[in-house]
Amino acid sequence: MIREITPTTTPEQLRAELAAFLADPYPTYRQMRDQTPLEYVFLPPGIAPGIDEPMRAWALMKFSDVYNALRDHETFSSARNPLVAKGIFPPLVLILDDPPRHTRFRRLVNKAFTLRRVEALQPWIARVAHQLLDEIGSGEVDIVRSYTIPLPIRVIAHLLGIPEEDRDTFKRWSDTFISSLVSIPLEQRMKNTQEMVEYFGRMAAARRAHGADDLITALVEADIEGESLQDWEILGFCILLLIAGNETTTNLIGNMLNILVDRPELWQQLREDRSLVEPVIEETLRYESPVQQLSRVTTREVVLSGVTIPEGAMVSVFFGAANRDPQEFPDPDEFRLDRDLRNHVAFGMGIHYCLGAPLARAEAQITLNAFLDRFPRLTRGTAPAVRQTTSPIVYGFQQLPLVLHPREQRYAFSH
Amino acid sequence: MRLVIDRSKCRKTGQCAYLHPELFRTDTDGSPIVRVEHPGEELRAAAEEAVELCPSGAIALEE
Repeated sequence: MIREITPTTTPEQLRAELAAFLADPYPTYRQMRDQTPLEYVFLPPGIAPGIDEPMRAWALMKFSDVYNALRDHETFSSARNPLVAKGIFPPLVLILDDPPRHTRFRRLVNKAFTLRRVEALQPWIARVAHQLLDEIGSGEVDIVRSYTIPLPIRVIAHLLGIPEEDRDTFKRWSDTFISSLVSIPLEQRMKNTQEMVEYFGRMAAARRAHGADDLITALVEADIEGESLQDWEILGFCILLLIAGNETTTNLIGNMLNILVDRPELWQQLREDRSLVEPVIEETLRYESPVQQLSRVTTREVVLSGVTIPEGAMVSVFFGAANRDPQEFPDPDEFRLDRDLRNHVAFGMGIHYCLGAPLARAEAQITLNAFLDRFPRLTRGTAPAVRQTTSPIVYGFQQLPLVLHPREQRYAFSH
Repeated sequence: MRLVIDRSKCRKTGQCAYLHPELFRTDTDGSPIVRVEHPGEELRAAAEEAVELCPSGAIALEE
């Protein structure tokens, strides 16, 4: 929905346009990319208190602009988000923060997400993956409900140290949090944030009383140069992890299976040659990026692609569009494994590079290997695949029916 | 002790220069450059942390 909103645009029209864009943003990217950086209406007036005028932002869709903005965190601030200043978004640590506090916090939590720590976690993740697949069996299944949602939620609940029985609530909290104000009104979002704050407040208090081997305990016991973390920092990190830890991976795995179900030859190749698993995951990240966009705010006037963006401007950084820029990726709309796998910006770039990237990659890899081990063939189900259409941040499925074809039974005494 | 970057693994995320500016800096094209190729004992802890925190597993510390 990169267009001018006229005074006659109704909320229903707006919701419908946003939904169409989110279900398939790629035609819009193709059409708009050459004209970016381009100012557009980010939020219509009246959508929330304090937004009386249309709220504008500059869309970046070229790979070079997106890359330059991500690398220049001094010019493109994450902390100065006007939605936080207006009290519409809670102040999250890391993702809505700048150095020096960002640096301090990133150092502290990074250690829980290193390649080595994730590697140690892999056998446990694989057990959960196989448990979920045992429950599914074979035949037609909505893979989103039965697998791509529960796996990441169980992993992140395990890391945080929160009871996984609450996972339906976690999913509702996450979906509401990342939705557009156009789709879910402010009042409902505030209630949602309040529920999360109260929940994690109780969890943090419990860990203060009795420590455990989990992230919440690490946070309440953290000592940075003689100082402990403030309550809002602890809650802000729990909320960030809960959301970032499940929405993104759910969509990565869903998008990957959706790509592969239409490529039976590639599926066969993968079964025979598992060295293709990594390239498939990386190309999925580029081709259908689970995180499509995040915002920044300029701290000074800046020129990108010859266009001057003023100081204090909101900027929408479209990772999804950058990853399909033909200037950077020849034949960008083709899913190909012969590219340089390291060039996409699906996990961002620079100081905010996704903290959970090693974990997301591990979950995708374990999933793909488990599916390849169990199912010689995948086909589409009879029910339609449905994209999510409420969150402008992520790209993925709300429903993805697949038929999982089991291995043929072999009988030892068949003759 | 020698700090080495495996260029075939490096994704140029910039995390090493961000978290350990005493050991790394970033070239204009985003590539990391080792500032202190042979860190002394006083930088051992920092160097080991840099190896651990690289999201691409591209940094090694050779004894």
